[in-house]
Amino acid sequence: MEMSKIEVITSMNKVASLKTALGKLGVTGITVMQAYGCGIQKGTFEYEPKLREEMELLPKQYIMVVLENSMIDKVVDVIKKELYTGHIGDGKIFITPMSNVIRVRTGEEGLDALK
Amino acid sequence: MEKKLGLPSAIATGVGLIVATSCLMSLGQGAGALGTGFIITMVLACAINILTALSMAELNALMPNLTGGLAQYTLAGIGPFVTILTMVGGYLVCQAIAGSVECAMFGNAINSVFDTGIPSSTLSIILLVVLIIANLMGVDIFAKIQNVVAYGLILSLIAMGIIGMFGLGTGEQVSQPANLAGSFTDTFGLLGLAFFLFLGCEFVIPISKSVKNERRNVPLGMVLSLVIILIMQIFVVLGMSRYTDWTALSESASPHILYGTSLLGKFGSYWMILVSVFAVISTVNSAMSSFSFMCAGLSKIGLLPAFFLKRNKRGAYYVGVLSIGLLEIVVNATGLSTSDSLTFMISVAIVFWMVSYIVSNINVLVFRHRLPKAPRTFKVPFGPVIPVIAIIGNMFMIWNIDSDPGTRNLIFMIDGFIFMILAVYSAVWCKMRLKKPMFKPIPMHEVMAMENEVYLIAHQQDREK
Repeated sequence: MEMSKIEVITSMNKVASLKTALGKLGVTGITVMQAYGCGIQKGTFEYEPKLREEMELLPKQYIMVVLENSMIDKVVDVIKKELYTGHIGDGKIFITPMSNVIRVRTGEEGLDALK
Repeated sequence: MEKKLGLPSAIATGVGLIVATSCLMSLGQGAGALGTGFIITMVLACAINILTALSMAELNALMPNLTGGLAQYTLAGIGPFVTILTMVGGYLVCQAIAGSVECAMFGNAINSVFDTGIPSSTLSIILLVVLIIANLMGVDIFAKIQNVVAYGLILSLIAMGIIGMFGLGTGEQVSQPANLAGSFTDTFGLLGLAFFLFLGCEFVIPISKSVKNERRNVPLGMVLSLVIILIMQIFVVLGMSRYTDWTALSESASPHILYGTSLLGKFGSYWMILVSVFAVISTVNSAMSSFSFMCAGLSKIGLLPAFFLKRNKRGAYYVGVLSIGLLEIVVNATGLSTSDSLTFMISVAIVFWMVSYIVSNINVLVFRHRLPKAPRTFKVPFGPVIPVIAIIGNMFMIWNIDSDPGTRNLIFMIDGFIFMILAVYSAVWCKMRLKKPMFKPIPMHEVMAMENEVYLIAHQQDREK
């Protein structure tokens, strides 16, 4: 397929800078949701000496963008650099192929619906 | 919203942090020995420092916003033993020696213009006592004027360099050969001394988080700071060649005052003394304060004893302030005043600094191997070539720390002895206190976590359970 979906889960304070950076790259749409979750550290804060036994769900931001495949590498590179602090909790990026996109107002499909 | 610094501010900060009055000592010594041939030596030393600056910018991109700087990179890169040996011990010893030399310049500068009848070392010790008290009392007047006096010194040197270069001085011009260097061996022989002129670009790293477009401006700011300093020093050397006798210059313990006097007479000497005395005071003061903060930061990550974290009622890390202050008093009490003794002390100190630069470049290579895919907002171009050249360059400078083989061996012996003591401390500290393998790197995320103020408290509480 020509399109992919990029989903990013990251800490709360990264959305503004990420939005600006993606805008500069020509990404045409972005969806942000507030989320709760944890990764392999089970929500343990980085300063805590021991891993938590039970999962602690921490507030996160979920960001979704859909774009054509030719932009993927560039966009992922920018996302990685924007989110990177070296600390636990920088986030994860998921990339999945997208079978179709439909713009409801016009009925356009595929890449046309993204433009 | 916090106001961000642009490229000009980053450059100004870099230049202000790198230039110190004691650099003028090395400049006078180098120019006195090689004449304008010292310019080649300075260009080489500056080039090697630029390569190291690029490596540091990459380390900063990989582990941003750290207060301990080089020590934390090494802890994550090579492990605690090398960190304590080179970054904690070596770097702190070097800071202590460099601070002492800077302080000695104060007494020398005063006595070179005013006949006080008081030994230079006594004047330096009086200054140190005042600064220790000021730091313990939390008086920050000197810190506030730090940038102003640093820029005053830089602008004065540029102005004096240009006046001398174009023969516009009021003093009498001297007739002497411009270049005294006969071979490349002569030029390389003073590389160590020239290195001292460009030390400290890593001090720009802590301000990187307040720099606009950090990815571009931090490395560029570091490189341009070094280049501007090089140009400034070249101006001064060219000016010196017209107005100051090379022999007198190499023998002077306050070469900048001598140059000011030869160039503009009494006015020149008063100009230089005014600027340099303020520069020394603010530099020694901020070095004392930053030393205590550095020790506290290293205690926080478990590399130094916890007593460095103790604060007095005014919030000063008094153990660090007293340690460095007393150490500098002891060094100055030994009568550190002649140009030879100052140059020797500088050479002893900068070997530690060069070793820490070598280790920083090794860190870049280690992280490239271990974390090849980690996002770096700045990456040194051409793969491993630049860090490798920087390592070789620094080793070459260590080898050429002094042109005289006897002095060189003595410097190596002293440094070797200090390194041996530090190695014992490091090994004991790793085994007994840290209880971690000496050469096993601490995971990067853990080193980053140590920056968190709660880290130490949480880990202490855990140990007590």
